Amino acid sequence: MVGAWLGEVFQDGMRRPVSIRCYMARPRRIKIPIGTALPMIWNYARTRIGEQLRAVAFIIVYLVAFKILVLNTPPANALQLSAGIGMVVLGLAFFLEGLFLGLMPLGERVGLQLPQRCNIAVIMFFGLLLGVGATLAEPAIASLRLAGITVTPWGTPLLFRLLELETNGLVMAVGAGVGVAVAFGMARFHFGISIRPFIFTMVPLLLGLSVWFARDPNLAGIINLAWDTGGVTTGPVTVPLVLAMGIGISRSAGRNTGTASGFGVVTLASLFPILAVMLLGVYLNVSTPQPVSIADFFAPANRSNALKLVPSEEKLAAIAFQRGDEAARRACYGSEEKYAAALHSLADQERRRELLGSMSLQEWLSQRASSHERATVAAIKVLPNQAKQANNSDFAKVVKNESGLAVRAIIPLVLLLVIVLLVLLRDRPRRPDEVVLGIVFALVGMAILTSGIRLGLAPLGDQVGRPLPQVFRSETHEEGRVILEPFEPESVLTAFNQNGEAGRFFYFKDRTGTPRPVPFESERYDAVNRRYEHIVERPPLFGPELTLVGIALVFIFAFGMGYGSTVAEPSLSALGATVEELTVGMVTRVGVVRTVSLGVGIGLLAGVSRILYNFSVIWLLIPVYLAVLVLTWFSEDDFASIAWDSGGVTTGPITVPLILAMGLGIGGGLNVIDGFGIVAMASVFPILTMLVYGIMVQRRQREILEADREETHAV
Amino acid sequence: MQFEPREAARITLMTHHGLSGRVVELFTALGIPAVLVENARCVRQNVRAGFWGLSGLRMGFSDAASEIYRLTVKRELAAPLLCRLIEGLELRTPGRGAIYAQDVSEISQRVLPDLQLEQVKSEWLLKDLTLITGIQTKSGGGENLYKVALKLGAGVPVVGLGIGTGIRDRLGLLRITISPEKEMVYLMVPGHDANGLQRLLIEEGHVDRPGGGFLYQTPVQAGIVDPLLRIGRQEHAASIEQIIAAIDDLKKNTAWRKRFFGVEDISSNGAAASFSHREITFFCHEEMGDSLVEAAMQAGAAGATVSRVRTSYMQGSEAGRSVSCERGILCVPAAMEKPLLQALSETAAAGPEKSWVLQSVPAASVFTHKRS
Repeated sequence: MVGAWLGEVFQDGMRRPVSIRCYMARPRRIKIPIGTALPMIWNYARTRIGEQLRAVAFIIVYLVAFKILVLNTPPANALQLSAGIGMVVLGLAFFLEGLFLGLMPLGERVGLQLPQRCNIAVIMFFGLLLGVGATLAEPAIASLRLAGITVTPWGTPLLFRLLELETNGLVMAVGAGVGVAVAFGMARFHFGISIRPFIFTMVPLLLGLSVWFARDPNLAGIINLAWDTGGVTTGPVTVPLVLAMGIGISRSAGRNTGTASGFGVVTLASLFPILAVMLLGVYLNVSTPQPVSIADFFAPANRSNALKLVPSEEKLAAIAFQRGDEAARRACYGSEEKYAAALHSLADQERRRELLGSMSLQEWLSQRASSHERATVAAIKVLPNQAKQANNSDFAKVVKNESGLAVRAIIPLVLLLVIVLLVLLRDRPRRPDEVVLGIVFALVGMAILTSGIRLGLAPLGDQVGRPLPQVFRSETHEEGRVILEPFEPESVLTAFNQNGEAGRFFYFKDRTGTPRPVPFESERYDAVNRRYEHIVERPPLFGPELTLVGIALVFIFAFGMGYGSTVAEPSLSALGATVEELTVGMVTRVGVVRTVSLGVGIGLLAGVSRILYNFSVIWLLIPVYLAVLVLTWFSEDDFASIAWDSGGVTTGPITVPLILAMGLGIGGGLNVIDGFGIVAMASVFPILTMLVYGIMVQRRQREILEADREETHAV
Repeated sequence: MQFEPREAARITLMTHHGLSGRVVELFTALGIPAVLVENARCVRQNVRAGFWGLSGLRMGFSDAASEIYRLTVKRELAAPLLCRLIEGLELRTPGRGAIYAQDVSEISQRVLPDLQLEQVKSEWLLKDLTLITGIQTKSGGGENLYKVALKLGAGVPVVGLGIGTGIRDRLGLLRITISPEKEMVYLMVPGHDANGLQRLLIEEGHVDRPGGGFLYQTPVQAGIVDPLLRIGRQEHAASIEQIIAAIDDLKKNTAWRKRFFGVEDISSNGAAASFSHREITFFCHEEMGDSLVEAAMQAGAAGATVSRVRTSYMQGSEAGRSVSCERGILCVPAAMEKPLLQALSETAAAGPEKSWVLQSVPAASVFTHKRS
């Protein structure tokens, strides 16, 4: 409308345009009849959705196939899962289109105008603001807390303190790190500094700090966390915005070098937060008690130290129940009576929620309780009224919640940019209507996408990731307990084995309804109440001697999951499209996406092997980063910054929940301290693969020139 | 304000990315104040052994990063400058790049650089070349023009990216359903074969279908082509491309390799009447592109293709700095040239930046699908 009005003003005889913008008016708009418009829209929507369908197809087929073929169970709750997956596809299509139409042009516009109207100090301050704002807006830290759900205050006190007590401090440290990184990134474009000096100082510094940390028992615990924050901080809104802005700035204040300057901010935004978290750790370490054994921690003598980490006695008891073992609980309550009273109080629903948190009694019994405690609790006869499982399938609630988060992630950043553009720079986007539409698309897409992930993709990943330890563990797996009441002793039969020894058994119907003989164990029979507690066991998926196959399967699973989820990652797609445009199609979007996904797959393999064999992440970080540094040395500047940036974009809304489900599943199955370190691995290996890809491309390019050189010498 | 067009020569240099350092050194040494640089890629056929050598030879396409440098000089300086650049960059060896000069009429507020270049013998410059420019939707259904060009052995295509504007911008928000991204293919071919090759390109590249793209020819005064069509496995002491280049060099023209007979010749000595259109190019500051396109549309042009270039400064304190610019191409009937240039120059002069340039080159055989 405004356009039409300006057009009229112009045609009414304002021959001398006051501002050049008068010409931007579009006077004659072509009216498209609805019959023509609908096929156009349909065609457009079909290609976009088809693209995302192809991107998501791999991971979905992979997960479902793994579930059915390897774990031998059909996916539960299939209707909700499929609806969720449909939403993921739709959400991705909307969100990506929103990025390309709205957020990226906006970012680029700001980047183009900033250097022309402002001095470097203002630009750097704006970068700082943007970085801090982006971290606060995108709640990536929440996923870190989820990964640390099994962290204990006795094993790794400092890690526990960072995740549970100093959450705000952690977020601020990460925010400050990202802010400083973006500010430095802007300055880098402005002065035309290569990314290399930053990489070659920061990475050795961080590696050195890690080695130093590894020597201190308390600091060693946070190495994984620190390196993981680097990967998690850069979310699906920040990356495209910062990328587009960087390209704008370097185009406007450009030097004659390179085709792909504009990259590199994401790299810095991955490295600086690591440093920030490490520094925070050093600062807090002074006032944090040293790691102790579990019984010592809960001992009354240690109570003052323990209360430094856990705010109250009740919380301490809850932690003893949720994360400790029997010894911990005994030590915590001090006396036998109090301990028994606490166990009995589990019968009370209110009390149970206090002590067990989000765990159900069933879960607690199978994961944390000792056999003695199981017997006690069974004797109290807790009614298996499973307090109606928290119904997270509440569709409307999830969508509402996620829409709120989407607004929180997008609107503040966009507002910051719009205000800077309109007020400070006195400019406006090239095509305001497209930008507004793009922002709406991004909002809608983000809300649909994240709800879809919550409803479809994450539960599916969970269903496959959690039972994963079955694949490699050779012992039988306890599936659940049933109280058989009244139990007739007459139903027990006798069977003889080949040595003539007698064994007792009875028939129990399995899931398919076929009666199967199961051994009778007299200690589980309560003759007074005529009650028998039967443990339903699930045989190992592979015989005891086949665990190698099992481990291989876990590795294959980890690789496929990393590859598949990264292929669908929206910020990677945005990065790929930008690279393709800047290199005029030399490096294609598909090429970038596949190479990075390959790297993430390898990274997950490495991360999973760390959890399986429980060695320090240092042994992976140092060699891989050294290799990456060497390759960077031999790469062209352009490709180096693209490769380093792709390390930062890998972990987004799709990858993180899936990786976490797998990490927690494997970690929980093996009782390792935490599921950290996987994200760090998923960030460094893509850098490696991208650098190798880049060197291959460069070599192929140089071949043409070098071949000619030989000829010219020969002539 | 009235601007008078002046005569000038536009030199276009397309080189391998690996040579960019030398190109900049050479330009600086020659005293050229600034050039326009566009990123592009150069596509060649790639022949390599199949998997484990089992399936024989496989044909693929191999991309090389390239840069397109454009600068304008006085007409009499074009030939010597071409020679200096060809020698300095060893462009006569296949695979390093191509260069050509076109006569343009230019409207601009800047003065043409005064270069001190001694006259050199330039007999080996090829004179009978024609530039075929193809503009095609990037995500279009048809086969890419550059692939067709390579399969036909027409020459080494150089591909750049552009954004199409025109009718799309007048659709309102519905425009987002049409992808604006275009690929611009530059192909230098012998002038006597240009029409025949263009016809083949149209047929095999499906340009004759709706949305198939846009093709036209512009005359080239002098230049050399990059004959390295094919890389990879080679089975003879010299490749067929090297032999062709050698014979071109000996004969000092490309007429000996005429492929199409009975097709009219539109190279520089062809009938001027066949140049029924004009290719209007504008170079301007990033801010101004939209308003120039808008002005052109109001003056009656159907649309423009805009691509991103940068002005790189070579001399003095500004050396090493570059500024982002836009380059727009419009192809219009010859009768529209004057009013269009008038409208464009008025719009450009109203803007704050003075570094804009308008150029016009005769164009022939403009082809696009027309709704009947």
